Amino acid sequence: MEEMELQLKLALSSNLDEGFDLNDHNEEQEYDRLMKKKRCFDETFEEIKNVQVPRTLPLLDHIDLCEEEDGVVGWPPINSWRKKICHHYHHNSRRGCTTPTNYVTVKNGCGGGSRSNSMYVKVKMEGVGIARKVDLSRHHSYQTLIDTLMAMFANEKVQGYKLAYQDKEGDWLLAGDMPWG
Amino acid sequence: MAYSFPEEVLEYVFAFLSSHKDRNAVSLVCKSWYEIERWCRRRIFIGNCYAVSPQIVIRRFPEVRAVKIKGKPHFADFNLVPEGWGAYVYPWISAMVRSYPWLEEIKLKRMVVTDESLELLSKSFKNFKVLVLSSCEGFTTDGLASIAANCRNLRELDLRECEVEDLSGHWLSHFPDNFTSLVSLNMSCLGSEVSFSALERLVSRCPNLRTLRLNRAVPVEKLPNLLRRAPQLVEFGTGAYSAENQTDIFSNLVEAFSGCKHLKSLSGFWDVDPAYLPAMYYACTGITSLNLSNATVQSPDLVELIIQCPNLKCLWVLDYIEDAGLKALPSYCKDLQELRVFPSDPYGAEPNVSLTEQGLVTVSAGCPKLQSVLYFCRQMSNAALITIARNRPNLIRFRLCIIDPQAPDYLTLEPLDTGFGAIVEHCKELLRLSMSGLLTDRVFEYIGTHAKKLEMLSIAFAGDSDLGLHNVLSGCESLRKLEIMDCPFGDKALLANAAKLETMRSLWMSSCSVRRCPSSNVEVMDERGHPDSRPETCPVEKLYIYRTVAGPRVDKPNFVWTMDEDAVLRLS
Repeated sequence: MEEMELQLKLALSSNLDEGFDLNDHNEEQEYDRLMKKKRCFDETFEEIKNVQVPRTLPLLDHIDLCEEEDGVVGWPPINSWRKKICHHYHHNSRRGCTTPTNYVTVKNGCGGGSRSNSMYVKVKMEGVGIARKVDLSRHHSYQTLIDTLMAMFANEKVQGYKLAYQDKEGDWLLAGDMPWG
Repeated sequence: MAYSFPEEVLEYVFAFLSSHKDRNAVSLVCKSWYEIERWCRRRIFIGNCYAVSPQIVIRRFPEVRAVKIKGKPHFADFNLVPEGWGAYVYPWISAMVRSYPWLEEIKLKRMVVTDESLELLSKSFKNFKVLVLSSCEGFTTDGLASIAANCRNLRELDLRECEVEDLSGHWLSHFPDNFTSLVSLNMSCLGSEVSFSALERLVSRCPNLRTLRLNRAVPVEKLPNLLRRAPQLVEFGTGAYSAENQTDIFSNLVEAFSGCKHLKSLSGFWDVDPAYLPAMYYACTGITSLNLSNATVQSPDLVELIIQCPNLKCLWVLDYIEDAGLKALPSYCKDLQELRVFPSDPYGAEPNVSLTEQGLVTVSAGCPKLQSVLYFCRQMSNAALITIARNRPNLIRFRLCIIDPQAPDYLTLEPLDTGFGAIVEHCKELLRLSMSGLLTDRVFEYIGTHAKKLEMLSIAFAGDSDLGLHNVLSGCESLRKLEIMDCPFGDKALLANAAKLETMRSLWMSSCSVRRCPSSNVEVMDERGHPDSRPETCPVEKLYIYRTVAGPRVDKPNFVWTMDEDAVLRLS
């Protein structure tokens, strides 16, 4: 399975049209901070090269989470009270970066599909409590991916949103700029 | 056959049966015992609010005085149950108001409680005494004000980790001046500041106050006054435990704590300044329960406090205690029965403390009464688990969370199957197990073979195929609750074990590969739309199966679909 480093975001197209550059907004600092957290999964599996361990795709952090979770929804199994203690103590310095609004962040999670050839990526829409997961291996074009994501977030107002993703250099790219492969 | 035993005698005998299981067994003996038992049952426990309706309960048990109800599934604690799912207590309260005017106790867990419910209960139950809300939500401090104002005989108001909309601290001042019956007050989950003078007066005039758990907003300077007014306290929770450096605070604290000769339980400890911890040492000899899970304090100070408690039975602490701190427990706290170690930085990429499997191994070796473990760490090995299992065959609860999902044995890089297998094989009385790390179908073989007393199992990112789930469902005879997230389990095991599901309270499966549901009384949570609206190959998001005599829910939100038998036929 090819290794892919992705962070996908859905953004309001109006923001993008105004020359809103996803590559601004303190992304560098943000990226550094994110990379520290990303290591967690990267390194865990990079060290174990010869073992049949399911590859999980690198995790990138959420920005401005509603749930304040960096990983898969529900993991680690910590309730909101415990999270408040952890975050209050540790993450005061890490948080406080303002985020672009109306983004849906997508990150790679360790879904149960990691043993097959599926590539589960987590999608989060700002303002929505529950994240979704989408299996990238089931899609062969940006259009089907976008359609699926729109259906997933059907309860929210998805009009005027666009899909964007962050590559491993930390640059934000609009979905569709590069070919699907 | 002449019936020789008078009913009154049987009733008298039944009154000695406090366990629900015993009462249920008694009611099955014969019709007359069923009748006698149902008229004299005073306490009801409902493990799943949707398993039965208020009307059915009231019809069968007309003279109930105490009710305990649980609502949302356990995984709701980790944000896996969407908002608006259900577990509303209002229908229960409004039904009980009509039929149980003398109700004294309501204990709820993971339910949605509104101000309206609280107001209704406070005005309707004249002899109301005990309100315990654990992990509940949906109410504001106005609801608490109703309770304070109207429940003249209130003994316990216990709010445990509830999500309360905190409008103000004024609710506490609603306890009338002639209200003196308070025995237990736990306001630790509230945010806003209450009037300290109202709190002091309340504490002064309630001579039977045994439990007082303050919230973070009560500063350490206020503690001496409160403790002096309640030297009879048995359970005490501080607020924020730090202050500007003022020496008389420290000496006042020492004096106040040494006056409390009956303290058995301590908690609170937000924002701890370690310099103030020694003030408590005089109170520590009798301490059996210490909850330091909010205390963001490093190991030496933590350990100094803990080793003052030779009678400690229950310790909750953050992983700042580290392996070094845990090593002290066998020497100083030999009677330890329950240990919970929580992560201080679960989302950090690197470990921030030196806490490994070794800490747990040393405690398991040196504390012979250890029976209940909850342990978050970042590495584990089969060898350590096998050692723990051999050291402590008396374990009844073992919950291990290795923070990286699917982390293998860090020494051998193998799955942790044999380690957990040893746990279930040696710990024959194990009631509850939560697993983590890299696990294949093999571990479920061990569980199905050995875990005969296991009642609750929690699994995440484990297994290879339906065989894993099948082994659990077919082998674990005592299983009541099964919760699964992100495992490659699908339909086959469920369909093959449909009958087993009826012997269980509930089964939760999220992010698995289930497409078809085995029977009715199955809830599918899917915010994408009705399961039929997607291709057959598409797995459901979340599945919650529970047995019920109440029929399909009437209060389902739009993302919950109950599968009826027709649906099963259509999909197959």
